[in-house]
Amino acid sequence: MIGARILKYAAFSRISAAEARRERSELYGRMVFFAVILGVFSSLWRAVAEAGMPVAADPKSLVWYLAATEWILLSAPPIHIDIQEAIRRGDVVYRLGHPASFVVSEFASGLGLLAVRAPFLGLTAFLCAFAFTGWTPPVSALLTVAPFGLAASGLMTALYLWIGLLAFWLQEVSPVFWLWQKLMFVLGGLMLPLELYPAFIQRAAAFTPFPTLLAAPASFVIGNGLVTPGALARQLAVWSGVTALVSFAIFRRAASMLTVNGG
Amino acid sequence: MNTSHDLAFARALLATNMKSAVALRGAFLMQALFMALNNFTFFVFWWALMGRVTTLRGWSLGDIQVLFGVVAAAVGLTVSLAGGVRHLGRFIDDGNLDTLLTQPKSVLVYAIGLRSHPAGFGDLLSGVIFIVVSRQVSWPQVPLVVAAIAASAIVFAACGIVFFSLVFWLGKVESVATQLWDLLITFSLYPEPLFGGTLRFLLFTVLPAGFVGYLPARILHAPSMLNVGILVAGAIAYLCVAVLIFDRGLRRYASGSRFTTFG
Amino acid sequence: MPPAAAVELNQLSKSFRVRRTRNGSVAARVRDLFSRETQTVSAVDRLSFSIEPGERVAFIGPNGAGKSTTLKMLAGILRPDGGEVRVLGLVPSRQRRQLAFQIGTVFGQRSQLWYQLPPRDTFELLGRVYEIEPRQHRRRIDTLSSVFALGALVDTPVRQLSLGERMRCELVASLLHSPRMLFLDEPTIGLDVSAKAMIRELLWTESERERVTLLLTSHDTGDMERVCSRAIVINHGRLLWDGPISALRRSYLKAKRVTLWSEAERLDVALPGVRVLSSGSYRTELEIALEITPLGQVVDAALRQTAIRDMAIEDAALDEVIRALYATAETTGTPS
Repeated sequence: MIGARILKYAAFSRISAAEARRERSELYGRMVFFAVILGVFSSLWRAVAEAGMPVAADPKSLVWYLAATEWILLSAPPIHIDIQEAIRRGDVVYRLGHPASFVVSEFASGLGLLAVRAPFLGLTAFLCAFAFTGWTPPVSALLTVAPFGLAASGLMTALYLWIGLLAFWLQEVSPVFWLWQKLMFVLGGLMLPLELYPAFIQRAAAFTPFPTLLAAPASFVIGNGLVTPGALARQLAVWSGVTALVSFAIFRRAASMLTVNGG
Repeated sequence: MNTSHDLAFARALLATNMKSAVALRGAFLMQALFMALNNFTFFVFWWALMGRVTTLRGWSLGDIQVLFGVVAAAVGLTVSLAGGVRHLGRFIDDGNLDTLLTQPKSVLVYAIGLRSHPAGFGDLLSGVIFIVVSRQVSWPQVPLVVAAIAASAIVFAACGIVFFSLVFWLGKVESVATQLWDLLITFSLYPEPLFGGTLRFLLFTVLPAGFVGYLPARILHAPSMLNVGILVAGAIAYLCVAVLIFDRGLRRYASGSRFTTFG
Repeated sequence: MPPAAAVELNQLSKSFRVRRTRNGSVAARVRDLFSRETQTVSAVDRLSFSIEPGERVAFIGPNGAGKSTTLKMLAGILRPDGGEVRVLGLVPSRQRRQLAFQIGTVFGQRSQLWYQLPPRDTFELLGRVYEIEPRQHRRRIDTLSSVFALGALVDTPVRQLSLGERMRCELVASLLHSPRMLFLDEPTIGLDVSAKAMIRELLWTESERERVTLLLTSHDTGDMERVCSRAIVINHGRLLWDGPISALRRSYLKAKRVTLWSEAERLDVALPGVRVLSSGSYRTELEIALEITPLGQVVDAALRQTAIRDMAIEDAALDEVIRALYATAETTGTPS
C-alpha cells in the first residue's frame, strides 16, 4: 500500500544519524520527565485527597488519567520545528510543484516518529503509574485507551503541522506553539479532568479539538463516561478532516505567495 | 585586574545584548507577549484546582502564585540578561570560546552575556504580575522581592553554567544538560510540601529547586532573617561553584584534551 | 640593542590524546572518561622559528598539518606540552590577558560582529573590552572606517552586509585596539576576486603603516603572494621550509609553465618531466621540470608536430611548488 510505503520511507530516510541521536536523547528526556511528572502528581493528588476534594475521583485513577493524557501528548513528535527548518532552509521551494506532497510527507514522517515514541512512552506510563499507585485500571479500559490514544496523538501531530507552516509568515513559530500547547493543557484537561474546571471553560473547550485529543481518550481510564467510543471516533474523524483542509489551504496560500514573490 | 574596567565592560555587554534583542521589534514583542500568555494559561490549572480545595498542605492559591511568580521572574531574568547560559554547551562544543579567549575579559561573563531570549522578558513580566496578583507582598517589600528574585536567578544561572559546562568533560551532552535544566524548572514550580524526605534533600543540593522556588516564595510569604540569610548564602555558594567548575573546564579546554579536529 | 622578536618559538610541541569516542549514550561517554582507550597524536613537533616585528608571514600547510594548533598556542588558547613560546615578549598560556591587549585575531570562518546590529555597536563594545578611552576610541573607529572605506556600512546591520563587506568590518574590529600583532586564519575564504584583492591590499597597507606583525594562514596562494613576504611551511607538525616567498618558488622547484598556441588543435608531448595540464582548442599548457627535460627539447618536440603560433613561458605557480614540497617531504621524510 502506498500509504505504508510513504510511512516507511519518510520515517526512515529522513532520519539521518545525527537526527536519530537527537530524537533518541529527546525521547529519553521525555521518559524521565514523564516519570517525574507522574511522581509529582501522585503526591499532589494524595495531598488533594487529604484536603477533601469535593469530587468523586480518587487519587489513583487521577494519576492513571494523567498517565494517559501525558502519553498522548508526549508521543506526538514536535514536527513544527522540523517544518520550520525546512521552510527556512528553502527545501520547500523544490517541492512546490506538488502541494500535497510536502504536507503529506512531513505528516507521514511525523507518524513514523510517533510509531517509535508511543510504545516507549506507553511503557513508561504503565510502569510509573503502577509504581506510584500500586494499582492498574481494568484491562478493557487500557485496551480502549490504546488505539484512541494513538489516533489522538496522530491528530495532534497533524495539528503541529499547521503551526510549522506558519513559518512562512513568522520569524519564529515557537511562541505560537507554546501558547497552543498551554491552551491544550487547560482546555484538553491534561492534568485536571475537564469537569473540575469552571463551567465557562468547559463550554469554551467544546469548540476546540483539545478535549478530543486528551480528555476524551483518557477518560476511558477513569471510566467517568465522558464519551462513548463511537462518539469519540466520530469526533476524531471530524477534527482530522478539518485539520487536513486547513493545512492544505494554508500551504496552498503560502505556495502561491512564494511563487508570486519568488521565494 | 581592574574592577572598574571590568564593570564597564559588563555594562556595555549588557547594553549591546539588549540592543540586539530588540533589533527585530516584531519578533521580540511577539515572543515576549506569547510567553507571558503561555504562563497565564498554564496557571489556569492551579486556579481551577485551588478554587476547589482552597488549601493544599498549608499552601493557598496566593502562595502558589508567589512561587510561580518568583520562578518565572528568575528564569526570565536569567534567560533575557544572560541568555548565553542556555547555549553554553553548544558554544563550547563549536569552539566559539576561542574568539573570547583572545580578548582580555572574563570568558564566562562574555559567553553568557552574548545572547538574549526575548521570551525571557515575557517570563519576567508574567512573574511580576503573578506576585502582584497574589496580594502577599506590600509596597514596602519591593526591595525584598527584587532581592529574592535576584538570588533565585543567580542560583538558576549558576546551575545552568554547571550543567552546560559538563560539555568540557563529556563532549556532546548538551541535550542531557538541557533536560536537567528543564527538570530544575519543573521541580521549582511545584509546592515543596509535595516532596518527600530524600527528594527534598536533592532539591536543596544537586537540583536546587528549593533555592530557586521554595525558599524565595517562603520569604515573600513570611519574611525571616534566617531564610533570607540561607538564600543569600546559597546564591553565593552556587555562584562560586559555577565559576570554579567553568574555570576548571576552561583549563581542560586549554590543554586540548577534548576531542578536537586540528589542522 | 636590537628590538625583541615579535614571535619566538623554540622546540614547541603539542600532542593530543585522541580518544576513540564510543558512540551514543551518555553512559558510554562517562565510561570514556575513565577507560584509557586513547591514542597520542603529535600535532606540533618541536617547531622552532621566530618572527621580527613588522614582518608579514604566511603560515602554510595542508589540512591537519598543525597550523591551527600552532596559532592557538600563540594566541594563548591552547597550552603547549613542550618547548617555549613567546609572543611580544609574553608567554601566551600564562599571560593570556596581558597578551590579549596587544594581539588581534581574524578567523575567516567565525565572526566577532553581532549579527543583528550595525558594526559600530560591536566596535563600541570592543572599546570597553580593550579599555580604550572613549573619545580616542571614537576617533580610531572613524579613522579605520575611512581607511577601509566602510562608509555607511558601519551603521548597517551585519545581517544585511555581503561577505566582503563583513570581512572588511571584521578587519577593522581586529585593529581597533592598535594591536602589535595580528593572527589571521583564512581571512579571504569565500570571497570573490575583487573582495579578496581589496582585503589583501588593506592588510598590506595597514601592516606597513602601523608596523603590525602579521601571521596569516591560508590555502589561497594569492593571499600569500600579495600580502606576505615570508612563508613558513609545516606538515605533520614539523617545519618544512622557512624563507622569503620569492625564494620558495625559485629554489625549490626548477619548473616552468609553458603555454603553446598551435595550428593543430591538439598537441601531444610525451617527454619525461613534462606534464600536460590542458590540451585542446589550439592551446596547450605544459608544466616542465627543467632538471629532467630542458625547455628547448620540449619546444623542438612540439614543432615537429605542428607549427607554433605563439608561446608564453612563466614560473610554476606557487600551488605546484608547495605541493612538490609536501611530496618531497613525504618521500624523503626530512625537511629541506
